[in-house]
Amino acid sequence: MSAPRIARAAFRRLSPRTRSAVLHRFGIFAPWEEGFDFTPPDLRPGEIIGPPDFVGIGVQKGGTSWWYELIASHPGVSARADIHKERHYFSHLVTQPFGEAEVNQYHGWFPRLPGTIVGEWTPDYLAHPWVPELLHRAAPDTRLLIILRDPVERFRSGLSFRLSLGTIEDEGTVADAVRQGFYARFLRRYLDHFSYDQLLVLQYEQCVLDPAGQLAATYEFLGLDAHQPDALRTGVNVSGAKRPIDPDTGRRLAALYAPDVEDLYSLFPHLDRSLWPSIDVVGE
Amino acid sequence: MMANGLHRLPYPVHRWLPEEQRVDLRHWLGRYRPWEAGFDLTPPAVAPDETTGPPDYVGIGVTLGGATWWHGLVTDHPGVSVRSDLPGARHYLSRFATEPFGPEQVDAYHHLFPRPLGTIAGEWSPSYSTLPWVLPLLARAAPGARLIMIVRDPVERLRLAMALGRERRRSQVGTALADAVERGFYGAQLRQVLVAFPRSQVLVLQYETCLDDPAGQLATTYRFLGLDDTHRPVGLHRAFRPGPVTAPTLELEARERLVDLYASDVAELVSMVPDLDLHRWPHFTPD
Repeated sequence: MSAPRIARAAFRRLSPRTRSAVLHRFGIFAPWEEGFDFTPPDLRPGEIIGPPDFVGIGVQKGGTSWWYELIASHPGVSARADIHKERHYFSHLVTQPFGEAEVNQYHGWFPRLPGTIVGEWTPDYLAHPWVPELLHRAAPDTRLLIILRDPVERFRSGLSFRLSLGTIEDEGTVADAVRQGFYARFLRRYLDHFSYDQLLVLQYEQCVLDPAGQLAATYEFLGLDAHQPDALRTGVNVSGAKRPIDPDTGRRLAALYAPDVEDLYSLFPHLDRSLWPSIDVVGE
Repeated sequence: MMANGLHRLPYPVHRWLPEEQRVDLRHWLGRYRPWEAGFDLTPPAVAPDETTGPPDYVGIGVTLGGATWWHGLVTDHPGVSVRSDLPGARHYLSRFATEPFGPEQVDAYHHLFPRPLGTIAGEWSPSYSTLPWVLPLLARAAPGARLIMIVRDPVERLRLAMALGRERRRSQVGTALADAVERGFYGAQLRQVLVAFPRSQVLVLQYETCLDDPAGQLATTYRFLGLDDTHRPVGLHRAFRPGPVTAPTLELEARERLVDLYASDVAELVSMVPDLDLHRWPHFTPD
């Protein structure tokens, strides 16, 4: 075994928080971390920049990496491997001024070859209520995508994921995981700034049942030709370990979400309520 | 048993350790804050002349809205019992998003409120209003409790929260930022409160009015709690300066954007609290 491979293997054995601390020591930050440098990447020969053609806005643990990969596999889409699918550009811009310089910097994160489209997918955008206005200023004509998932299942998966990264379990962490499931509440803010036709709402459960059909709908929404990616039938890894929750607590969470989910069904009548049975049990 | 104060590390530590490492150190020393999963919630021993039961009042909001100051003035009243070995913010209900909450947990909550006969007891956990699962639980555990919420200009609240975060070297992106923004949506919070409690059981005060007229607002608070409203705490007019040492002003563009962000929520708050004085929140004052 070579020295770099041993080093890499040892690094992977460290806890997630120690790993980040080591990377930070070397000045390496992820786009969602404080300290990330938002200077756009260098352009490669032939590339041009501009506003993103599509932006995925949610949700965490909703299969967004899988779906973004499927979109990126289309020959009409530019997706550089060295740029993270989650640009997180707006995540830090609440109290800072936002003007032309910021808009241009955001555009710089979307290099593409002429004739192709490009986009990003930052699941945190949904529950960050200041993002819709900024995104609309930076990319008013972009197409928005979101994959929703049964909010109770999403919560369990989301909380386990956060804790697995070494986040401390306190009321703030739990509140954030709960909050991200109030889909209608946050989507209404997007609809204040973007037209209904600019938004494609998918259901994770539907994508798992019928990936080909849902992907065809996604390509069509993005103005892309029909395409059959090689990776369509590979496994999906969104669940991981899920936090065990007793049935009573699960029902309590479902009751919390029920009014928001009803609002969601009224906003988007094409959603299949039979795919989220846990919510409907509460309403009966 | 909960020991108030023990969960804090000496202040200068803030200056040289980022929050994550500070928390690790604190946990390594076995110290947890009431809102963290490891905090010991064993109820205290009850003295022979004391009884326990549901809280008579619960402060439910908001952070950086003067809750600690105001709760201090409430507990100064001789008719209010206060225990120095219990944190004023019990945060007890915060942990039941993922854990069962049955008669046993209700009983344990009641045991956190020992009081001598003839006095009232309560708590003030400023985050309760922002934790959507808490209010239904509170309605089960203390259906007769009187709720108090102090609200403050949400843009100003956010500005101070950001400055305080910087001062304490807390993360200022993503979840932390979303949490800080979320705490200012008082209208949405109050709407959830009113699903679980009747309006008559909720007192909404305005921080800016409390600063201007502490005696009048405190008398209102005492009356709401069924207490003699002639009591005047000694330190009532003592200058009160909460929050960070310095907080940079917002640039006009950012401030206008934040006012837009909160405007519809403030309008909703006013619809539920018609006597809210918007002249005290100049950014939101209608022309």
